[in-house]
Amino acid sequence: MIDPRRPEDDAPPPDLPYQLAWRSSEVRAGAHRGKREGAGGFFRDVAPLLRSPDPRRLDLRVSARDPFEGLHVRRFEQKATVTVYALVDVSASMGFRGASDKMRIAADLCAALASAVRRAGDAFGLIGCDAEVQKELTFLATRARGSEVEMLRRLRNFTPRGAGTGGMVDAAALVGGGRKVIFLISDFYMPRPEIEAIFGALARHDIIPIVLSDTAELERLPRWGLLSLTDLEVGRRRLVVMRPRLWEAWQRRSGRRRADLKSIAGRYGRTPFVVEDRIDWERLSGYLAGGVA
Amino acid sequence: MNLALTYPWVLALIPLALLPLAFAIQRRQGYPSLAGVEPDGLSRAVDIGLHLLGALAILSLLAAIGGLHLKGQTVERVGEGSHVVLLLDRSSSMDETFAGKQATETEASKSSVARELMREFINRRDHDRFGVAAFSTMAMPVLPITSHKDAVLGAVDAITRPGLAYTNVGQGLALALSMHEADPTAASRAILLVSDGAAVIDRRVQERLREQIAKRPVNLYWLYLRTAGAPGIFDPPREGVPDTPQAMPERHLNLFFQSLKVPYRAFEAENPEAIADAIEEIDKLERNPIRYQERIPEIDLSDLAYGIAAATLLLLLLAKLAEVRLETGGALTRSGAGGTVAATRQATDNETKRLKEAA
Repeated sequence: MIDPRRPEDDAPPPDLPYQLAWRSSEVRAGAHRGKREGAGGFFRDVAPLLRSPDPRRLDLRVSARDPFEGLHVRRFEQKATVTVYALVDVSASMGFRGASDKMRIAADLCAALASAVRRAGDAFGLIGCDAEVQKELTFLATRARGSEVEMLRRLRNFTPRGAGTGGMVDAAALVGGGRKVIFLISDFYMPRPEIEAIFGALARHDIIPIVLSDTAELERLPRWGLLSLTDLEVGRRRLVVMRPRLWEAWQRRSGRRRADLKSIAGRYGRTPFVVEDRIDWERLSGYLAGGVA
Repeated sequence: MNLALTYPWVLALIPLALLPLAFAIQRRQGYPSLAGVEPDGLSRAVDIGLHLLGALAILSLLAAIGGLHLKGQTVERVGEGSHVVLLLDRSSSMDETFAGKQATETEASKSSVARELMREFINRRDHDRFGVAAFSTMAMPVLPITSHKDAVLGAVDAITRPGLAYTNVGQGLALALSMHEADPTAASRAILLVSDGAAVIDRRVQERLREQIAKRPVNLYWLYLRTAGAPGIFDPPREGVPDTPQAMPERHLNLFFQSLKVPYRAFEAENPEAIADAIEEIDKLERNPIRYQERIPEIDLSDLAYGIAAATLLLLLLAKLAEVRLETGGALTRSGAGGTVAATRQATDNETKRLKEAA
């Protein structure tokens, strides 16, 4: 079967602007709203000259209104950078190939993110984990241009074979303190307590969950017939006698699973973004710009 | 159960039956997580059933190849009947009719009438064992006591062959008694003497017969085929005829038998109907419990085994045909090992490259 879509339809857009609902506490000047005052950006407040000794920003109207004849200066918000991490689940379940290749989608997504982050002048890091953090896929956040080439090359060549997602919790320690943007890229085929543990470990950060899903594993399951499935992670085999009733139960089960994820993610601020078979870049842009997926 | 195999070496292949328990007939298809699969009892049952069917198919094939059969055996049963020695008169007078004439197409000879009725008698008595002896000038052992009915019937058929001259009842009886002696089983015994005349039995022979009968008592039946005009068994001597064995051998043979102190019945038959009645009577009298051996033939079970194998293989084939695959949407399905993943990824990458070039 040949995909009727042309390859360039799926090409990522040159920029993927991400807007944050919080203020970065980083010192470095960047593209996002920060907590520090400095030159440029939004007007923040007015302060006595003695506290903020920058006579260039004297606010004459406020100074003239002061009955005690104090001098006041205007203060402005300093735009700041943020640090963006992509936490990619590289356990064996991500090796599933149905209508799409999840690892490939994850890599494409990371590539687009990396270039967008570069444009914004932010730092980008990538950590791949299964049951533990994968050493060869651990890149701490850096602003160095061109560093993403090596990250993406390794991610694309990585063969997922591990089981579990415990590494995500360990990765939280690598990400470190200070609020950061964390893209959590996974198929989220994990038990609810594990999802809660991951979100809990990353709670101080802005978590953006990206769910990679495939129609072949759910919606396009055959309605009749014998299906022999092997768990990609633990290797257990199960025979399934498919019939419409079971098909519906299966869909309901996955609906419940997604609702669970949504409620957990919602508690930490964002609803998950679901990628089905291919990345809808326009929708993703809207989602990152603050809209709802 | 007496199951046996013609080729026992197939037992060495029995471990093959474990293979279907370890492997599945379906192609393995990767799925991200079985935790996402709805648990289903029917699926589990079908899964276990298919594995067991596979094992059963191999086992039944092995049984069929090995020639599974139920062993033949002999079983001792208890029924009604006895061991009977047919003592047949082969004197030439047996070839005549009851009227003392040559046998014609319309009127059968005494021997052939006796033969038909005896055949019937033999066929009717399922559990009896028969021996056949004949006598004429000398006694002739024909068939020792046996349960092979066909041989007995053949021996009885032979009495229609042209007979010989003289009637030596004493020697015939001695032979019949010795045939009984040779048979060690503890069955009820009978001698059926079929003759159309009698002869004088020598005193010394009489003494020996008495000894033999005392040693091994038998039921004695005498079927006397009386020719028209011949003296009867029970007739008293007529006026002027001396009451001696020489003058009236039939009467005196009867008296001798009666003096043997064993159950004895004499039947005087003057026509075929009378013979039939007599044989009916003997049939009724000889109803004693008997232990007999019944042979159970070998039963070949390999056809059944082949049938079971065919049925199970058919079911497995249906299951195989009912197998479906996840829709892959152009990409290859990952199957098992990591090496395959890299290979399939390579293949897909190549495909994409080609697509890009084509575009």
